[in-house]
Amino acid sequence: MAEEKKAGISRRAFVLGGLAVALVALAVLFYTGGGREEIRHIAETVLPKAAPSEEETGGRVSVTLFFLSDDDDLLHRETREIAAGPTPADEAERALEELIKGSEKDYLSPLPPQARVRQVFVNKDGTAYVDFGKEIMEKFSYGSSSELAAVYAVVNTLAVNFRPIKRVVILVEGAERETLGGHVDLSRPFAANLALVAK
Amino acid sequence: MLSDAGSIPAASTSFGSSDVLNNRKLLTRAAGLPLLLFFAGSLSVAGLSGQVPSQGPPAARGAERIKTVVIDPGHGGIEVGAKGKFGNLEKEITLAVGLKLKALIEKNMAFNVVMTRDRDVDVSIENRSAIANNHKADIFISIHANGALQKKAQGSETFFLNLNATDEETRRLAYLENNSSQLESRIDPSSDDDLMMILWDMAQTAYIRESSRLAEMVQGELNALLGTRNRGIKQAPFKVLAGVACPAILVEAAFLSNPEEEKRLASEQFQAGIADAIYRGLARYLRSVT
Repeated sequence: MAEEKKAGISRRAFVLGGLAVALVALAVLFYTGGGREEIRHIAETVLPKAAPSEEETGGRVSVTLFFLSDDDDLLHRETREIAAGPTPADEAERALEELIKGSEKDYLSPLPPQARVRQVFVNKDGTAYVDFGKEIMEKFSYGSSSELAAVYAVVNTLAVNFRPIKRVVILVEGAERETLGGHVDLSRPFAANLALVAK
Repeated sequence: MLSDAGSIPAASTSFGSSDVLNNRKLLTRAAGLPLLLFFAGSLSVAGLSGQVPSQGPPAARGAERIKTVVIDPGHGGIEVGAKGKFGNLEKEITLAVGLKLKALIEKNMAFNVVMTRDRDVDVSIENRSAIANNHKADIFISIHANGALQKKAQGSETFFLNLNATDEETRRLAYLENNSSQLESRIDPSSDDDLMMILWDMAQTAYIRESSRLAEMVQGELNALLGTRNRGIKQAPFKVLAGVACPAILVEAAFLSNPEEEKRLASEQFQAGIADAIYRGLARYLRSVT
């Protein structure tokens, strides 16, 4: 009997001790963990302020897109707001998606509406690689004029709007192609061409 | 420097065909020296006069040196090119015009005429310029019909190459310029693939001035004969022109995307008119180089 009682007491002491340890651990967690939480909060609000341009426009940036007019052979500018950041490649991808969506005025879209941007990658040397899905080749039957328009609408949209982008390489399904439709050489990087743009 | 050039995509195109490989070897011989001397000048057409060396492009040495004309009917096979509202395809019209032009030249001139295609087949663009270079083309004429999204777009225009020169390109040009004296011996396809690639890429640049003259003369005849709107001579980075080591132009005769012009393009008479205009422009060019 006495043996049993002794065992009961020691078990209770063990449980109490365990509880005390747990309490201490919780207290430590509360203070240090809470502190860390606070630091992280500060960091979250402070970091975006390091890039004030995005904050000023409420996280939107204005970009110039290039469309065709029925009245001449030139590309025409149209401005559009897109969500800002975090990287130029993200913004470039959004700008191209707006270009594909088409004009809000009466301009013609130089790209097929089914066109799809798979990825935009901007190299340190200023070369942007735009990878389109195969739709950009399949959904239009390009003539020289429409192919030049498609290529330079893409190139100008990237090279005119984004300072880190100096030249553009167009890929399709991740690979280099000779042309989109039998005319314009895609093997070479393109710089912006403003000679094709209306004044 | 070279490894830099090698890292850009232009130098990483893969070749499968032996035509293309032969082309690259031939290019060293045919285009290497004048090409490099050309680089001493600027890329602007205006700045080129007098810079073509005495061993320059064949056309510069007189018409008697011109033996082979290569005709390139645009597109073909599954690659249809522009499409008209009434279902006419660019590939059909270019072939019809190309064959008519071939017949005209063979009937009236003593040239060997080579077609990059003489039926409805796929020919890669790389192979079109390879065919031209392997046959030692002296003149290359690519035939197309235009297509635009604007239904009203109309008229004919003649293109020659505009090398879409970026700063990367400028550095490559600078490299070639600085090493031109020893370049002939330097080029060894097995050891220096990047450099070969650069030359192959830029075969046409040595002939830009001659190409622009040919374009001008063909363009003049096109409008006189066809009565289409004169859209002038233009430069564009067209793939098929870039690899050709002789004067080369690309003719865009009228717009398939314009229903009125599509009807005309589909008629045999109009097609014969295009062929005749190119033939006359070619004849004028040949007279001017003697």
